[in-house]
Amino acid sequence: MTPISQTPTGSAREAAAGTLPAPRAAARASGTDSAQERSRIELVGVTKRFVSPSGTAMTALRDVSFAVEPGQFCAVVGPTGCGKSTTLTMVAGLERPSAGVVRVGGQAVDGIADNMSFMFQSDALLPWKSVLQNVALGPRFRGVPKSEALAKAREWIRVVGLSGFEDHHPHQLSGGMRKRATLAASLISEPSILLMDEPFGALDVQTKAIMSNELLTLWERTRPSVIFITHDLEEAVALADRVVVMTAGPGTVKAVYDIDLPRPRGAVQEIRFEPRFLELHQQIWESLREEVERAYARTGRTTETPGGRQ
Amino acid sequence: MNHQISTVSDAKALAAIQEDLRQGPPGDEASIAAAARARGRRRRVQVQAARAAAVVVIVGGWQLFTNLKIVDPFFFGQPTGIAHQLVDWVQNGTPYGSLWLQIEVTMKEALGGFVYGTLAGIVLGVLLGQVPFLADVMGPFIKVLNAVPRIVLGSIFVVWLGFGPTSKILLASVLVFFVVFFNAFQGVREVDRNLLANVRVLGASRSQVIRDVVLPSAVVWIIASLHVAFGFAIIGAIVGEFLGSQEGLGLLISYSQNHFLPDGIFTAMLIIAVIALTAEGLISQLEKRLLSWRPGTHVETAGL
Repeated sequence: MTPISQTPTGSAREAAAGTLPAPRAAARASGTDSAQERSRIELVGVTKRFVSPSGTAMTALRDVSFAVEPGQFCAVVGPTGCGKSTTLTMVAGLERPSAGVVRVGGQAVDGIADNMSFMFQSDALLPWKSVLQNVALGPRFRGVPKSEALAKAREWIRVVGLSGFEDHHPHQLSGGMRKRATLAASLISEPSILLMDEPFGALDVQTKAIMSNELLTLWERTRPSVIFITHDLEEAVALADRVVVMTAGPGTVKAVYDIDLPRPRGAVQEIRFEPRFLELHQQIWESLREEVERAYARTGRTTETPGGRQ
Repeated sequence: MNHQISTVSDAKALAAIQEDLRQGPPGDEASIAAAARARGRRRRVQVQAARAAAVVVIVGGWQLFTNLKIVDPFFFGQPTGIAHQLVDWVQNGTPYGSLWLQIEVTMKEALGGFVYGTLAGIVLGVLLGQVPFLADVMGPFIKVLNAVPRIVLGSIFVVWLGFGPTSKILLASVLVFFVVFFNAFQGVREVDRNLLANVRVLGASRSQVIRDVVLPSAVVWIIASLHVAFGFAIIGAIVGEFLGSQEGLGLLISYSQNHFLPDGIFTAMLIIAVIALTAEGLISQLEKRLLSWRPGTHVETAGL
């Protein structure tokens, strides 16, 4: 299980042994359960309707219920347009449900919480700020003194393997490097909840594999609760503890699968060949395929079953 | 880092290299690059020469035709007449005091109008861009005001504020305001939703969102409007002086008009053109500095 990830300087694994925040396990041992409880996410009967300017209502999500336990990595898969992203924006507090309730740490979400980070599919780095300034944004917004925020940002830039690129602007970086910077910006505040909306969707296959490995390594250090949206079932099974399958729009939860592959998982490219992985993948794909087919039929395409992993 | 084809001339150089590759035997890279550079140099020389020729033809033709009385110098002036007028004003002063004073007055009015108009345009543009309710309420009023021929406001301002510089500054700022306002407003509305959502989740307050996201991304639009806005500031100052004043370049033009002195009009025009070009250069510098984070293309092509 040699890590495929080869970062320019100091890999995440190496840094894991370094100076960074103590793993959450320590907090657990010392008995601060409240910090842990704060990271439980629960959606109960969540429905979201959008009203267009012309007044017609569109239901994006219908009666969605599922839960993410503290420290759990939960992947949400579903066909295009099933409202996966909408689910995330409601957990983040950027939007409110039309009905039902989203609870984080037992409390209904009403507005943006400060223990969450959100990673978008497109790069959300500010193009007019350097990598260093971008990574330091979270602490700066929360009132951390500048020198302290910058020092912390340097540390995290090293962790994601971007040392030497602190003063570059985003447009000077490759897609993979921008993702690393975004990852550092998301993790610097040590969130107890990490929301990811197809974060690696725009990357090429190799870079995506490398980034997935990095993500797992970093996640295993501090163990935030994660909701990871993807349309790539392999990615979902390889990364997650729990996979939520959603139906074609209006989206609702079709099935929830617990993934019992042992952790640490090691390289995501290799786990794909383990018998248990194949078994789980096959099982979930059976469920997902129907929804994908329905979504395809609705777009008017007469395509054959899109290739799953066989 | 930037190997993109960033300017038209680069694109042409590249096309030329490709042409070479198709035709001749493949040379090594150094000689190809040298040939491309030589071609670029030759082209620049050609452009400069053609420009010089254009000036000679226009100015020389003007002088020639007026000398030969084919065109009446009494109505159309003469390049030598303009030069004499300029020297006369510099040495002996204008009918309203020294030439420097006239320039200073007009510059002060134009700059004042430019600064106030720009600030007001940015503030209101950002405010209305941020508060859709306000934008909906104010929309029709601003459209109506924009439709009014604003130069005419100059008369009202002279009536209200007298012949001093204040009425000119006000007219110039009104002209500048609308240009900057519409751009700032549009710029604020075009801010990437993703960036906004991202900084909000990162914990940014409303003022931090404006400072770190809204303004920097609107700057691209605002800067673009400043090129046009400075032109308007000068128009405002000159027209204001036309409508009633005691000094300034606009007054010199008006004086020359009333005394049938085309050379005077052209001389004042020349001075104004020099001022406008200088300001344009400064704004381009500012643009380069403020937008240095962008990938090459835009700043370089903004030259014209």
